[in-house]
Amino acid sequence: MIKKIFKIPDMTCSACAMKLESLEDTLDGVKEINASYHRLEMVIEYDESIITDQQIVAAVKKKGYQAIEA
Amino acid sequence: MSKQQNKSIDPVIIAALGVALIATGLILSVVNSNEQSLNLNADSGAWSQLVLAFITGITTGGLSCLAVQGGLLASSLAHQIEQDYVEQTAHKKQKVAVRSNSAFPIFLFLVAKMVAYTLLGALLGWLGSYLTLSPMTRAMLMIAIGIFMIGNALRMFNVHPIFRYFSIEPPKFITRYIRRTAKGTDTATPLFLGALTVFIPCGVTQAMMATALGTGSAILGAALMFAFTLGTSPVFFIVAYLTTELGSRLEKFFMRFVAVLVLILGFVTLDGGLNVLGSPLSLQNLTRNLYPSNSGSASVADSPQTTFPAGELVLSVNNDGYFPRTLKAPANVAFKLNLITNQTYSCARDFVIPALDYYELLPDTGTVQVNIPAQKSGSTLFFTCSMGMYTGQIVFE
Repeated sequence: MIKKIFKIPDMTCSACAMKLESLEDTLDGVKEINASYHRLEMVIEYDESIITDQQIVAAVKKKGYQAIEA
Repeated sequence: MSKQQNKSIDPVIIAALGVALIATGLILSVVNSNEQSLNLNADSGAWSQLVLAFITGITTGGLSCLAVQGGLLASSLAHQIEQDYVEQTAHKKQKVAVRSNSAFPIFLFLVAKMVAYTLLGALLGWLGSYLTLSPMTRAMLMIAIGIFMIGNALRMFNVHPIFRYFSIEPPKFITRYIRRTAKGTDTATPLFLGALTVFIPCGVTQAMMATALGTGSAILGAALMFAFTLGTSPVFFIVAYLTTELGSRLEKFFMRFVAVLVLILGFVTLDGGLNVLGSPLSLQNLTRNLYPSNSGSASVADSPQTTFPAGELVLSVNNDGYFPRTLKAPANVAFKLNLITNQTYSCARDFVIPALDYYELLPDTGTVQVNIPAQKSGSTLFFTCSMGMYTGQIVFE
């Protein structure tokens, strides 16, 4: 398990954070996501043997946001 | 991730319900205009409060709430939109058009919101029967709400990252709990999130909550919050429906529009708070002396001597404010101020003189006398309604 921070510059309200956190229910290998609109970032704890950074970035993009590794 | 689509209500029916809500609003407005002919008398104070709450909701509350709570609504819609997307993708292969049905979750969201706020109103009214909000507390509350609204508007304009902190993020355990509980159902998410809006009331809602607290009655508090939330619903519904149906470009336009309105409302609320505080720095108090009107001032000598003894001042408390707005009184002499109401149902009845810590809910028709202690020459006593909307001053010379 590793923990990474992704910057999400295009969040516009606290609901965006909620939308991003819902990824923890759908992405295999993701243990926990804590997104913050205040800091425009997402802290994700995941198993790198199951899911890659690229897959996470793609899933975030599908939600309508750009994820940049901090 | 695909899920079975449940049978949903036709958006046209939901849109019709939205129109029905507007119609209810119009009926209530008409009833308000005919209030006197309805002869509600003893109940008219409560009735006018309810109508005022509804009108506040339909005019400003809807947009203000949308600005603050729109995020939660978007969350509840996200699930529905995701389902629509999945369904549309599936049907694309079969070349079948699928209509979006975002109206249903909006409707559920608003119903849950209305129920939650009505219950909150009952609770506040019940609490209010044990508490009394002083004008000073109310003023500080209004100033705080005004600052909150201005901060939120500046956040929407993306002026500076610091303003992001004016957006309240619901606690993670609540969002996580709701998300997991609502998982697998079409109706639970908007219902839960609608109820959750009680935790993130917008500025106007907070002002209304303070009013509900001030009613000191669980039933009136509940009715007041219900009337207000009902008033916010048509605007909330239409804007939310249009923005989700017409896409993000229009949403951006609406959010700019809402930001401008919230900014104006923020300044109005802040100014109202300054008025209730009796501050000479409020916009109304600053501009009054810049643009003095002859018809808007009177002195002790001008008071109608046939009705009131010499040396007493008369102030008419009308539905549209106080007349005259500037009273002139001799310095270093105590006198009586007669407040006259005549079928006055507006908030002008909630008369406040902040510097004297005087607050009185005047009868809708009648005269109330206030003892004004001697004041120094050149000083000014500001008076206002408890909402800070209508103001005036007594100048001592």
